[in-house]
Amino acid sequence: MDLTPSTEQDMLVAATADWCRENMPLEQARARPPHLWGELEAMGWTGMTAPGMDLDHASEALVFAELGRHLAPVALLATAVAARWSPHAGPAALALLDNHVPGGSLRVLDPHGAVQALGVLGHLAAVTPLPADLGGEPGLDLSVPIVHLDPAPPFEALPDPRAALHLQLLAAAYALGCADAARDMAAGYAQVREQFDRPIGWFQALKHICADMAVRCAAARSQLYYAACAVDADTPDAAFHIAAARQLADQAAIDNGRANVQVHGGIGMTDEAYPHLCLKRAHLLSFVAPARRQTLLGEAA
Amino acid sequence: MDILFSTEEHRFREQCRDWLHANVPAERRPMDAAEAIEFDKAWQRRLFDAGWAGINWPVEYGGRGLSIVQQVIWLEEYARAHAPWIGANFVGINHGGPTLILNASEAQKEYHLPRILRGEAIWCQGFSEPGAGSDLAGIRTRARIEGDELVVSGTKIWTSFAHVADWQELVVRTEEGSQRHKGLSWVICSMHAPGIEVRPIRKMSGQVEFAQVFYDDVRVPLANVVGGLGNGWKVAMSTLSFERGTGFIADQVKQSQEIEELLERARATGAIRDDRIADQLAQLRAEVAALRAMTYRNISEVVRTGQPGPEASVIRLFTSELGQRLERMTLLLAGEAILDFRYGEDDLVADYLRGFAATIAGGTAQIQRDIIAERLLGLPKSR
Repeated sequence: MDLTPSTEQDMLVAATADWCRENMPLEQARARPPHLWGELEAMGWTGMTAPGMDLDHASEALVFAELGRHLAPVALLATAVAARWSPHAGPAALALLDNHVPGGSLRVLDPHGAVQALGVLGHLAAVTPLPADLGGEPGLDLSVPIVHLDPAPPFEALPDPRAALHLQLLAAAYALGCADAARDMAAGYAQVREQFDRPIGWFQALKHICADMAVRCAAARSQLYYAACAVDADTPDAAFHIAAARQLADQAAIDNGRANVQVHGGIGMTDEAYPHLCLKRAHLLSFVAPARRQTLLGEAA
Repeated sequence: MDILFSTEEHRFREQCRDWLHANVPAERRPMDAAEAIEFDKAWQRRLFDAGWAGINWPVEYGGRGLSIVQQVIWLEEYARAHAPWIGANFVGINHGGPTLILNASEAQKEYHLPRILRGEAIWCQGFSEPGAGSDLAGIRTRARIEGDELVVSGTKIWTSFAHVADWQELVVRTEEGSQRHKGLSWVICSMHAPGIEVRPIRKMSGQVEFAQVFYDDVRVPLANVVGGLGNGWKVAMSTLSFERGTGFIADQVKQSQEIEELLERARATGAIRDDRIADQLAQLRAEVAALRAMTYRNISEVVRTGQPGPEASVIRLFTSELGQRLERMTLLLAGEAILDFRYGEDDLVADYLRGFAATIAGGTAQIQRDIIAERLLGLPKSR
């Protein structure tokens, strides 16, 4: 038993973080340049656990937490899962099948360049081929174009339940990264913004908001590590641990997103400042393969 | 990273399980305070005789010298077997002992550690004072040096097990006129020494588990100073960092059991059909899982680097608040039957009321948040 990243994993995380800071800063998340996807593919993040890649889910989750911290494209989530489990090859958009009402339109996130869409329906992941050039308009999360498919195309369920767990795990990693980003942004601002002739982080009222952000991240991160290892070890309770990681990461992302706006005060409410980018991403992620109550309660489906 | 235990660790877990299965007493810890102490001592002695006391304490002082991972395995199995609460041995085993291992002289360790492990010596903690709670550096109890003795006068408060303790880990001001963290010393004080008066304090749960202790020219041999005169703050902090790191594993293991029991009760009574209750239970179960993951991560950090990581204070805070959320859920499921609670009963209501200690004792939740914000996030110190 060892729940700390190995030296190689630490190096992988550091390299990912460096690359993201350089090439995909959070501050530019409002709109990503078209060439970004090609660079992400070149970095190998579209198929870390694809057949023949030999990387474990623990390493993948660590990398995705860093990508999530920089608000990387959400199509990476679907594409990484598709690379391992889908019969189709190529980039995948993210289909929000969970809450889709039959007969209604289906939201598909990040469709640019995607040749398929992947989502979770019940306990299984499902895919469908996508026509080229679907378009899509930015929605709440300015970095994520959305297209409404009406009627929704038929989806083909992937028989291995691990595909759905995979998406849930990576979404948890993204949400954790998003929560980390909000925590660091708030703590950084609390150190430099001055009121009453001192940094606002001196005041316990602000300090404790930031401490709670750190607590939420620590809990979600530890559970993410445990869940990723449970998947790698194929333990019978892996589904529960992923659901727990997903739940805590989601809450951390949304609660930290809100707290970050509050710590920033007036500027935090503006479009110009960055806190809203984390908050909006957190709300978006909460619809991607969320944790199910029955799974958390250990009840069979 | 992996969550799998080695073959050797699996074998160790089986040994723990087998012994506990055959030896955990069927009777509950007695209600009567004096009987409870005898029960605690006898159980500790039994653990020691069978080789289960001080699993990761050094062999030369009666411990087993095993790894911290094996200690965790033991505590997991201990809770699973519903073995008795550590009771009056808490301070000696979780506080005094570990502090002595880190800071004490050979002679001090040789005398005290085996007695703690055998359940022969009950310890209590003398840190807080009426004027020094969260602001612990405001300690005013002083000790002047006379020959080869310290002469202690002052008062300590919130001292658990003071009325039954043999020894106290006592922090006093040994340098006259010294301020704050300087001039303090950590000493081993006999609770049987003349000049000590213990006034028990009743808690809102009805139990008398802590006390105020008065010192009227109490004589303590200078040889009982641990870690050197004037180094008391450093020695005391080594205990606290231990407490924040690994001292609460037993509580955490217990919480993972409590959530499963709550779930069973909610299913049995049908309360789980209430969406609000089901949602809360689901949330608690996720949090309990995360607590175990945090503990494992912290233990891994200890194995790797020799000490708990900076996130240990996060675990301490998370554990204490999660414990209180579990107690509230227990209360919710119990319904209005809680209204019949009377002093003298040791039930879930008493647990709920006494559970407030978790976010007050050993550093309040607010102090923990200060520490997290300052040490983990680099926010400016406000004190």
